[in-house]
Amino acid sequence: MTMRPLVTFLVAGLTAASASAFARFDDDALGRGEPTAQAPAPAANQERDFLSRVRRLTVEGRRAGEGYWSPDGKRLVFQSERDPSNPFYQIYVLDFATGETKRISPGIGKTTCAFFRPGSDQILFASTHHDPKSKQLQDEELAFRASGKERRYAWDYDPEMEIYAFAEKTGAMTRLTNAKGYDAEASYSPDGQWIAFSSMRDAYNRQLSPQEQKQLETDPSYYGEIYIMKADGSEQRRLTTEPGYDGGPFFTHDGQRIVWRHFDEQGLIADIWTMKLDGTDKKQITSFKSMSWAPYEHPSGEYFLFASNKLGFENFEVFMVDKAGAKEPVRVTYSDGFDGLPVPSPDGKQLAFTSSRSGGGAGQIFLAQWNHENAMKALAAAGPRK
Amino acid sequence: MRPMVRLTTFALLLAASAAHAQTGAAVQSPTRAHVEMLASSKLEGRLAGSAGEKLAAEYLVKELQRMGAKPLPGQADYRLPFAFTAGSKDAGSTITVQREGAPARTFTTREQVMALSYSDNGEVSGPVVFAGYGLVVPPSQNFSYDSYQGLDVKDKVVVVLRYFPEDADMQTRAAVARYSDLRYKAQAARQRGAKALVVVTGPRSPNAGNIVPMTFDTALAGSGLVATSANGEVAQAIFAAVPDKSLEAVQKELDSGNPHVAGFAVTGVTLTVKADVSRERQTGHNVVGYFPASMTAPGVDKPWVVIGAHYDHLGRGATGSSLASKEQAGQIHHGADDNASGTSAVLAIAEALSKQPRKRNLAVAFWSAEELGLIGSNHFVTTPPVPITGMAAYLNFDMVGRSTDNKLTVQATGTSPMWPKMLEQANVAAGFDLILQEDPYQPTDVSSFNQAGVASLAFFTGAHVDYHKPTDTAEKINYEELDRIAEFATDITRRLLDLERAPQFTKVEQKTEGGGRAGMRIFTGTIPDYATEVKGLLLGGVIGGGPAEQAGLQKGDVIVEIAGQSIANIYDYTYALELLKIGQPAKVVYMRNGERRETQLTPAARK
Repeated sequence: MTMRPLVTFLVAGLTAASASAFARFDDDALGRGEPTAQAPAPAANQERDFLSRVRRLTVEGRRAGEGYWSPDGKRLVFQSERDPSNPFYQIYVLDFATGETKRISPGIGKTTCAFFRPGSDQILFASTHHDPKSKQLQDEELAFRASGKERRYAWDYDPEMEIYAFAEKTGAMTRLTNAKGYDAEASYSPDGQWIAFSSMRDAYNRQLSPQEQKQLETDPSYYGEIYIMKADGSEQRRLTTEPGYDGGPFFTHDGQRIVWRHFDEQGLIADIWTMKLDGTDKKQITSFKSMSWAPYEHPSGEYFLFASNKLGFENFEVFMVDKAGAKEPVRVTYSDGFDGLPVPSPDGKQLAFTSSRSGGGAGQIFLAQWNHENAMKALAAAGPRK
Repeated sequence: MRPMVRLTTFALLLAASAAHAQTGAAVQSPTRAHVEMLASSKLEGRLAGSAGEKLAAEYLVKELQRMGAKPLPGQADYRLPFAFTAGSKDAGSTITVQREGAPARTFTTREQVMALSYSDNGEVSGPVVFAGYGLVVPPSQNFSYDSYQGLDVKDKVVVVLRYFPEDADMQTRAAVARYSDLRYKAQAARQRGAKALVVVTGPRSPNAGNIVPMTFDTALAGSGLVATSANGEVAQAIFAAVPDKSLEAVQKELDSGNPHVAGFAVTGVTLTVKADVSRERQTGHNVVGYFPASMTAPGVDKPWVVIGAHYDHLGRGATGSSLASKEQAGQIHHGADDNASGTSAVLAIAEALSKQPRKRNLAVAFWSAEELGLIGSNHFVTTPPVPITGMAAYLNFDMVGRSTDNKLTVQATGTSPMWPKMLEQANVAAGFDLILQEDPYQPTDVSSFNQAGVASLAFFTGAHVDYHKPTDTAEKINYEELDRIAEFATDITRRLLDLERAPQFTKVEQKTEGGGRAGMRIFTGTIPDYATEVKGLLLGGVIGGGPAEQAGLQKGDVIVEIAGQSIANIYDYTYALELLKIGQPAKVVYMRNGERRETQLTPAARK
């Protein structure tokens, strides 16, 4: 636990900024907090105001994250590095009734960000399996790991990433995007008819200035913008235009708005925003002066849960904020390292989140009982937004 | 809890267990009666070999019979006896110093001479060689240290100092500390042909001039030579033959840590060393029964699954590992968590599975003499009543009654690549906040099975302030969670019984090298919390009146640095402790409630 040299720390900071795109997450770069971030015993008690019976859900594999519930709450789809022959994330579905987990992604290449389509047997996720270099990249990464070397975990915004819908009954994969540049971080509308996603295609569909080209090489996430399309991939429309990474869009439960996170140009500060499905009426929900991202609405429609490093650069905690953003966010988790990607169950009584609290720096998915009543009280008691 | 409108199966499970909790009085706990019986005063702390152990064994045998378990194939009884050394005492060791031209002096009292517990019995005479600290550190990383360099000790009596160079720099201390255990010193002397070893605590060391107390050393492999300690008086008599040099001056030179300070032959003296150790042999009893496979399953390899827990404890705490305070001395150590809890979990699992069909045999094992050094389980795996290669898996339960915050530690997960997947699947329903530790080299019986090459798991709910004290009592057990752990493990056992292919065993490299704790000579009074994984060393408690308590440390503190050494885990801590100096305050940096604090801790000597 030697203190990291300052230079490394700064580099880590940049990695963290870009990696949080990992759509919705990164762990290693964020999870190894300094000793000041130890979880003290009384803090664990504070967490119980909102969370009870916290438990680790995923165990197998190096890391797992981004757990999203099926509409009936009986299953969870998530990404995990658990295939010995593929060092990258693949997509798995866990059945709560049987405890069984099965892979639904092709097994080749990289994948991320899955989501169940309401009223359908489809599950979407982003994948690079069509990239002929996939196997080679896997082998290179495996060889690198076998050499005993460690690199800082960082999401690479692979421009080959495209969004697919997988049909569980037939096993058919339908490709929904076909634009050079990272297309990922997708989610369905509550009626299953629309998909919101993030794309970096803007960096590839026009001539970049030398400065812009340099930006693309150092941090492509700068070009991330929110798009919407029909569930069959048609009618793709861009909804955001501001400089800085826009990503991680989800529909609110009434289907009327999209909640997402918007980064500043430097990629260090992010806040939670909402807008209508046509991109109008953009509202900033937080001004939290930190990296606040991965927002998800509670099914009650009363508040958003999100992750922020407000309390320390590498110490992400789950926070919540009222739907109008009238008040300061309220802290939910109290644990060293990374706690983020909060996703409430469809009945609003449980919370799935990704955390490095089990040690080792890498994230795994945790579940807890969610106390909505206490959450409402705490939000009511929160001070006005600063 | 009212039923939810949109009940998921998972929510149903949670609801069911919550309902269970609320009506706890009505639903009988499958473990509580067992714990209360085993931890009762009637069993007097279940010391291996004692009457209390026999009563406990009787209870377990009756339970096995009631459930319909049979003695293992080829055995007439569930009780599998084994002999062990319950204690040792010096029965009259002496040293005679014969200087040329002076009358012989013989030292006979226990203040003057005491055999080391692993000494051979016998009497030998010979010329004397002083070999400094008697340390031999194998060369590694440009460091080596050999007290025997240039010395011929064949057929001679070797005199060495206890511990290691007191003033050496941190690096040297780190390198030699692990090899300063007297067992290593005895081994080094024997390998070089010495006839006897005499250990002296130098005038500049902690416990200066005192003999080494005979510890209760159960791992009694003979050292192959006569080995005693001698006090300052004896040392003076020997060193009187050394011209112009006191022992203190000699030690001071050595204490610099300079590996080139050599020992020397003490001319003109003959030592006669007689070691007489009387060892008390007793008989302990493992209790093992089994439920035969109910189906013939041709594809199934390795026909056994073993579940086990040690049922012995510390009696009234006469042995070294009791942490009773002075006021508690001699009281019954009830051992409700350690390990009536694990024993009861195994009984509950056996009961739950006794009527179910199974493809493998289920062996249900209760070990004795665990507290004395894993003796019962070691005896079982080294002289197995059924072939060890036929064992598909071993599940161990030791201290599983104090779960808090839904946490359950599962250790030894590195022994098979199958464990993470199986634990994940079983835990979806069980819902524990699992903490996984790959390391199988744990201070419990899982270690024996790992050494024997059996894929193993160990369940554990963490150390606490009542650990190894009379206050580890039955009413402090969290029965609701203990029952949940038993249910979870029942599910895993059932899976193992029916798996077609046994879990593949993988060997986990041991993280510590050399003597590990054996070289430890200092006492800090900290009780590490092994269950919760944090960066640093989380204190599960501190020993009353010990150096840690005096330094203001308390339960929940996380030590992150000690004497300039950063502490990331228990291994770092153990390692750092070896470098501390007794009586010399060391800076301790620790976290309390997220706040970084400092204090000074003054280590005491471990007697």
